[in-house]
Formats: sequence, structure tokens, C-alpha cells
Amino acid sequence: MNAIAEQFASEGVGSIFLYTHEAHPGERYPHLTSMEQKLRHARALRDELGVSRPIYVDSLDGACHRAYGSNPNMSWIFDRRGVVHYKSDWTDARSIERAVEYFLEVFTRRRQGERLAPFHVERLDYRDHDRQAFFRGLERSGPKAVREFREALRIWGEE
Amino acid sequence: MNQALLALYNYAEFVPDKVDRWLNFAASPPLGEVAPDFPLWDLDGRETRLSALWSQQRLLVVEFGSFT
Repeated sequence: MNAIAEQFASEGVGSIFLYTHEAHPGERYPHLTSMEQKLRHARALRDELGVSRPIYVDSLDGACHRAYGSNPNMSWIFDRRGVVHYKSDWTDARSIERAVEYFLEVFTRRRQGERLAPFHVERLDYRDHDRQAFFRGLERSGPKAVREFREALRIWGEE
Repeated sequence: MNQALLALYNYAEFVPDKVDRWLNFAASPPLGEVAPDFPLWDLDGRETRLSALWSQQRLLVVEFGSFT
């Protein structure tokens, strides 16, 4: 996602990371109890995981995150009026890249005089599903996060 | 701030009973309409708004998430 941000920055496309709650609290990164802690975790996202996009932090009660559906790893694209152009219940760089390219093309076509009207489309996009890599990510939070996710998979019947 | 909400939202254990209630993407703001605006804070604790960020760009990509 950092690369996508750099790819489109010169075309007036901004990218931010919005810090929500700890989806998989563990020993190293436990559940949040204060804004100071939330800011500390968000800085670790920048410093340890290398998120180079501007990071902004939601309120401690997740007012923004909850209003947008509160899924753990969503992506949204807004225009400068705040109109929603794209929303995805999971973040996938390829999906974002293609969506941004499409919307930039719409801007160009309009500049060239085409008369365009929006319509709604639903479709399934596909993301990487590497469970081993996901577990390696959970290990950064701590063994508790790994243990709880394994148990949740069993309850969900996805083990 | 509502302490009960804070505890529910910032759950301490990843267990389906505590997690599933927050998966409400199907009821999220619709495409094609102006999205709700909220205050946000940068890493130095300075307050801004989501609308202040989207208004500066032709498009703004927002990834929601956390360290974990």
C-alpha cells in the first residue's frame, strides 16, 4: 500500500492509514485503554512495520471506525467533497490500484468533454490468502494473539 | 466517554463473541454519497478532521487498521 501511495501521489491522490483498535491484542500490543497508548501503538506501526503513509488515529471509542462498519482491515476512497467512490471490507493493493486508475481515467474523460453519470456495481475482488504469513503477523502481537485466533478458527469451523 | 462502549470496542481477547459484533461493513455508508466526518489525531496528537484530509486531494485512499 505504501508503493501505491507513492505511485499516485503526483496525480493528486492522497493515502492515509487510520488507526483503529487492536484486532488481535497480545502481550506486546494489548487492548487499548488510553489515547496515549493508542498513539504509541500507531507510532510503532510506522517505526516497526514501515507504514510510510501519514497515520491518523481515531478516537478511543472508535467513533469513525464504527461509523464505517468497523471491519478490521477496510479501505475506502473519497473524492475531495467526501463522496464515497470505493469501499472494500479488506485491503488489497491490486484492487486499490485498479480502482484509482479507473477513477483517474474518469477525471481525464470528463476533462476531455465526455458526459459521464455514476452507477453502482458490485463485484468480488480477490486477495492473497497466506495463513502462515498471517500467523507470523499475529506473532508480533504475542503468543496470546496466536492462541486466540487459532481457537476462533476452531469455533468458526475454519480450522 | 462511555466506559462500557470503550471496553466493548477495545476488547481484550479475540473471541468471536467480542469480535463479530463489530463486523458491520454491510451497514456502512453507501457509495455515491458524502461520507460522515469525524475528528482524527496525527501521531503528535494534533487534532484534524477526516474532511480536512479528503478536501486536500482529488482522491483520498484510507486504509483502516492497527498494529495487530
